[in-house]
Amino acid sequence: MIDVKLFEKILSDLIKSESGIRKVILVDRTGLTIAHASKFSYYPVDIDGIGAIASAVFVASEEQGKNLDIGELMLVTSEFEQGKIFAASCGKGVLCVITDSDVNIGMVRLLMKRAATELEKVLDEFLSEQTTLPATEEKTREKLKSALDKLEEF
Amino acid sequence: MKKDKDGRVHFKIIFWGPSLSGKTTSLRWIYSNVSGLSKGGFTSIEDPTGRTLYFDYTPLSASGDVIFDVYTVAGQKRHKHQRKIILQGVDGIIFVADSDPSQLDANEESMEELKELLKDRLGTEVPLVIMINKRDLPNAADKEEILEKLNIATMDVPIYETIATKGIGIKRAFQAIAREVLLRKLYNLKTMT
Repeated sequence: MIDVKLFEKILSDLIKSESGIRKVILVDRTGLTIAHASKFSYYPVDIDGIGAIASAVFVASEEQGKNLDIGELMLVTSEFEQGKIFAASCGKGVLCVITDSDVNIGMVRLLMKRAATELEKVLDEFLSEQTTLPATEEKTREKLKSALDKLEEF
Repeated sequence: MKKDKDGRVHFKIIFWGPSLSGKTTSLRWIYSNVSGLSKGGFTSIEDPTGRTLYFDYTPLSASGDVIFDVYTVAGQKRHKHQRKIILQGVDGIIFVADSDPSQLDANEESMEELKELLKDRLGTEVPLVIMINKRDLPNAADKEEILEKLNIATMDVPIYETIATKGIGIKRAFQAIAREVLLRKLYNLKTMT
């Protein structure tokens, strides 16, 4: 079974490796935020919402590439006045990096490529464990039963 | 169903239906009015007139360990590609039909698109709940006429008559789809009950 701390380690290494990187989010292609890491910020951010958009935008760009027959999507870059958002494929997931505006783009690309390679393996294993997740797994059953009970209460 | 790194179980539920049928209104009503649910942020990608351009999204949870990631889709015809993307990984669908008689064909087209995308998973692996919305319209189409157009007679699905602007029937419809996805995962049910 995969150690989920591996996600944290890879994301944390990535965020520490370049001072201009503010946030790193790993999402799957259905919009689910799997893991994230952030540097301290006073501004509260809805990570799940950002992850959902990052995934949707990346997958939509991939679709554009397919429709135009221009090959695989390497990187999506969005440039703003006060920051940049990068998104790159990592197997079944999308790695999203939020940076300051004056970040070294070449360095970010390189670091993302490295992290994406590492994440791809871990993520594939993590997601394949999920597809075989038995509904009979006792802990999960407990959670689902409890949610079912709560559902009748609200 | 998926788990995040903290072991929380996620289910993806989508409000589907033709343009302006009340998908966003329904989700916003749940977000603003249903107590007893913990809620995350409300993310919306809309055009300058307020119509959904891509999707709305909010995570809702009745118990901390199980989260319903609830989405709406953009209903306009030209947003078909976006809908297909949002549909990935879906666990349950709430179809929002419009009671306006002029929207009968739009209801049908939207349902046909959904059937085409999910094929035989719809109503089996992916449970479906129908909301017949805008029942307060003075000229609302007959319920049977709307259902006939949707062509879902072979699927025994829960049907709710709703008024999203007033929240009537919305909570029950959401509870129904949440219950369906949980039961389906718990007992591995393949057909609608």
